[in-house]
Amino acid sequence: MPDPAPAVTEQRVSREFTFPGDPESLAGSRQAVMDFIAPHCSSDIEEVDILIAVQEALANAILHGCQKDCSKTIHCSVVIDPTAFTITVRDCGPGFDVEAATRAAEADMNTTTHGRGIALMRSLMDEVTYRNGGSEVEMRKLRGV
Amino acid sequence: MLRIDIQAARDSATLHCAGRIVLGVEIEILRCMAEGRSEARLVLDLSKVDAIDAAGLGLLVELHCRARSRNGKLRLTKLSPSVRRTVELVNLQLVLEVEADEDDWDDEEAQSPCGRSMTA
Repeated sequence: MPDPAPAVTEQRVSREFTFPGDPESLAGSRQAVMDFIAPHCSSDIEEVDILIAVQEALANAILHGCQKDCSKTIHCSVVIDPTAFTITVRDCGPGFDVEAATRAAEADMNTTTHGRGIALMRSLMDEVTYRNGGSEVEMRKLRGV
Repeated sequence: MLRIDIQAARDSATLHCAGRIVLGVEIEILRCMAEGRSEARLVLDLSKVDAIDAAGLGLLVELHCRARSRNGKLRLTKLSPSVRRTVELVNLQLVLEVEADEDDWDDEEAQSPCGRSMTA
């Protein structure tokens, strides 16, 4: 009789998404991701935190990565295990200087009408990591925290 | 989705928002409704807003600056817990006129005999 699979493996669920990179698809893309995540959330606060972070990541990918070009695509993966929600959003753009963008937004935070997305993602999630020059972002939200 | 009910008095208008203030048509609807008001005082009732993103926060700053440039005022009232938390995460409560909590709500607009209501 084979050993039972580890509990973590049994409870791990994941899904891959591909979305067009145009602004009109943003609401539907966000909804598709949240339809998968929401049933696993333990509170409304946890769900809204993740919703806003997903919204920001997808919006950045559409506006900056894909330049609103519907022929380009965004890849999103969601992994849910007993410890955390892990959401990765990747676009086909050239990326950007994350630290420079963060500094610019912080310098003018009181009056600027743009640039709060990264700060929000970092505040709402437990870990936010940019890779590939900024064209991929991985966000982790620990469960039950 | 964002629904906005408008209650107007002589020199103020209250926009009762319900839904999400996020990038997309929701932002454009709120901008259109707010910029279309001629009253000096604009009040946003955010009690039924369950989420606001960075673009929504940016719009609040934009409307605040626009009101001030016209010697008017934008006030945020009855913030839902989610909206209040998001506003405070980026310290916009220091910039925008935000009521401390629901108890501070000044209901004069709602009770005004000049008030009227419509839904968009």
